[in-house]
Amino acid sequence: MQGYFTQRLLLTIPTFIGITLLVFVLTRLVPGGPIERMLAEAQLASGTASSVSDGFGSQSLSEDQLDQLKAYYGFDQPIITSYFQWLWKVVQLDLGESTRYGESVWDTITERLPISIFYGVTTMILTYLLCIPLGIFKALKHGAPFDHISSAIVFISYAIPGYVIGIACIAYFAANLEWFPLGGFVGDEFEYLSTWDKIIDILHHATLPLIAYMAGSLAVMTFMMKNSLMENLSADYVRTATAKGLSFKQAITRHALRNSLIPLATHFGQNISVILSGSFLIEKIFNIDGIGLLGYEALVERDYPVVMGILVISALLYLIGNILSDLCVAWADPRIRFGEKR
Amino acid sequence: MNFLSPQGQRRLQKFKSLKRGYYSFVLMISLILLSLVAELFVNNRPLVVQYNDQIYFPTYGDILPGTIFGYDYQWETNYKKLESDFVKSQNGNWMIMPIVPFSPFENNFIEGEYPPYPPSISSKHYLGTDMAGRDILARLIYGFRIAILFSLLLLTVTYVIGVSLGAVMGYLGGTFDLVFQRIIEILSNVPILYIIMIVASIITPNFWTLALLLAAFSWMGLTWYMRTETYRENTREYVLAARAIGASNTRIMFKHILPNSVSILVTFFPFSVVSGITALTSLDYLGFGLPSPTPSWGELLQQGTSNLEYQWIAASAVAALSIVLTLVTFIGEAIREAFDPKKYSYYE
Repeated sequence: MQGYFTQRLLLTIPTFIGITLLVFVLTRLVPGGPIERMLAEAQLASGTASSVSDGFGSQSLSEDQLDQLKAYYGFDQPIITSYFQWLWKVVQLDLGESTRYGESVWDTITERLPISIFYGVTTMILTYLLCIPLGIFKALKHGAPFDHISSAIVFISYAIPGYVIGIACIAYFAANLEWFPLGGFVGDEFEYLSTWDKIIDILHHATLPLIAYMAGSLAVMTFMMKNSLMENLSADYVRTATAKGLSFKQAITRHALRNSLIPLATHFGQNISVILSGSFLIEKIFNIDGIGLLGYEALVERDYPVVMGILVISALLYLIGNILSDLCVAWADPRIRFGEKR
Repeated sequence: MNFLSPQGQRRLQKFKSLKRGYYSFVLMISLILLSLVAELFVNNRPLVVQYNDQIYFPTYGDILPGTIFGYDYQWETNYKKLESDFVKSQNGNWMIMPIVPFSPFENNFIEGEYPPYPPSISSKHYLGTDMAGRDILARLIYGFRIAILFSLLLLTVTYVIGVSLGAVMGYLGGTFDLVFQRIIEILSNVPILYIIMIVASIITPNFWTLALLLAAFSWMGLTWYMRTETYRENTREYVLAARAIGASNTRIMFKHILPNSVSILVTFFPFSVVSGITALTSLDYLGFGLPSPTPSWGELLQQGTSNLEYQWIAASAVAALSIVLTLVTFIGEAIREAFDPKKYSYYE
C-alpha cells in the first residue's frame, strides 16, 4: 500500500513536467510575446506610428537593447534550455516576475488567493449541506413525484453551464430588479463599514456568484448521494439489520448512511483544484478578482510568467488531489487495497 | 426492429417508457431536422415569387440578380423592396416570404431609430434584434444548426480516437497502456481554453480547425472509459474462447469486445453533445471561437452581457441554450437509465 502511493507520488513528476513543458513550448512558439507587446507600446509612446510592415528596422529600440530584453526574459536561449532554467527556479519556489506588473508572480497570485478560497470553500460547504439531505430524501422517495420534480430541476441546473446561469442571474436579479450588485467582491464604501456591515456587504456581493458556482456541482453530488444510498439500501446487510428487528429508519441511520457517504468523501480530493482555481468565466462575468480571472487576463495580455505560475499551482493541486482521493477511498473503506494483485 | 438483439430491444422499450427522456429525444431530433432546412423558415429570400407569369424558387441555389425583376442592379434582389413594389403596382405579381423574413447576416435598420430593436410582431423581429440590427431569432436558429453540426463533428473525431485507442490500451496493457495513461493525464491537465486562445491569436480558426483542435484535447474521457471497459471484457470467457479458436487481436477487439462495450458508447453520446455545444458557446462568448459574422449563441450571450439594458438579447440566448442543453441532458439521463440493469429493492 505504501509502495503504491510512493509510486503514484513519483509518477506525478513526469506528468508535471509534461504539462508544464507543453504549455511552456506553446507560449514560446506563439508570436506576440511580451517583447513584441513592449515594442508596440514603446512605439505608441514615442509617437513613431510606423507601420508594422517596416519590421524591426524602424523600431525605436536598437538591436542591442532588443538583445538585452531577450536575455532578460530568457528568449535568447533554446526553448529546452530556458524551460529547465525555469523549472530549476520553480523548484526553488521562484515563479519569476510578471511581465505586466513587474511584481513577483507569487505575490500576484497570493494576493488573489483569499478571494478564490472564499468562493471555493463556501461553495463546497453549501453544496455538501444541500446535496446530502436532498440525496437522502430522494433515495427514500425514489419514484415519487418529489423525486421526479427535483431530478428535473437538478438536471436543468446541471445542463446549463455555470456562467450562463450567472448571466441569467445578473441580467434578472442585478440589472432588472436591482436586488444585488452587478459584480465585484465588495462594494466601493467597504472600508468605511462596520464589521457587521462588511459581512453583509460580502454576502450581498457573493450571493449570485455562489448560485452560479453551485449549479454545476449540485447534480453530481446529489446523484452520487442518492445512488450510493440506494445501492446500500438494497444490500444484504440492511436486510439483516431489519431482520434482527431494527426499524427501517434505524437501519438507514445506523448502517446504510455511513457506508453511502464514502463516495462523497472520496470526491473531496478532486474538489481541491476547483476550490482554488475557480471558474474564470464566472469570475469574469461577476468581475471577481480571483485566480481564474488573473489567469485569463494574464493569457490575453501574454503575461507568461503568471500563466505558467498559475499552471504550476493548478497542476500540482490536481495531481495531489487525485492521490488524496485515492487515500480517502483507502481510509474510508478498509476493504480497498491499492496496488495489490488480485 | 429485428436488427436489435433481445437485450437491445428491452433497452429500447425501457427508454421509450421513460417519458421525459423519450419526448426530449423526439423533440430534439425534430429540431435538428428542421434546422437542416432552416432556409425554408428563416431567410430573406422568398419561398416562391411569381413575376410576369414566371415562377421562381429563390430559397436554394444561386442568387437572382435584380435585373430579373426589372431593377438595374446585378447583385441580389432586395426582396423586401420587391414585395412592396408588388403591392404598389397591383399587376398580379406575388411572393411568399418565410415566417421569419430575415437572414442571420443582414443588418436591418428602421428609419429614425438605432438598433437594437425590441421584440415586436409588427416588425417581424419576434425576438428583437442584436446590437447590429440582425434578427435574433434568425441568428439563434442558424447558430443552433452550427452548434449541433459542430458538436457532432467533434464527437465523431473523439469517438474514433477514443474507441480505437481505448480498446488498444485496455487490450494490450503493459508499457503501451502506461505511456498513454501519462499522456492522457498530461492532456487532461492542460487548460484547453488557454491553448485555443493561443492558437486563435495565430490563425483565425474556422469550423473545421476549431473542431479538430477541440477534439485533440477532448478525446481523453471516452478513451478512459473504453480502456476500463476493455480491461473488464478482456477477462471474460467469450474472449478466451475467441482467442482459443485463433482469432486475431484486431478481430477480438473490434468484433467481440467492441459490440459488448456499446453501452458505454451510447451512454456517453448525449453528454458529448452537451460538452461540444458548451465548449463552442464559451469560446464564442470569449471571442476565440468561430469568426464573426457566423451566427453563434456565445456571441449573442456576449452582446447580452455587455448590454444588460437590452434584456431581450441575453434572455433569448440564455433561454435557447438552456432549453437545448436541458433536452439533451434529459435524453442522456434516460439512455443511462435504460442501459442500467440495476433494480433497487427496499427491505421495509
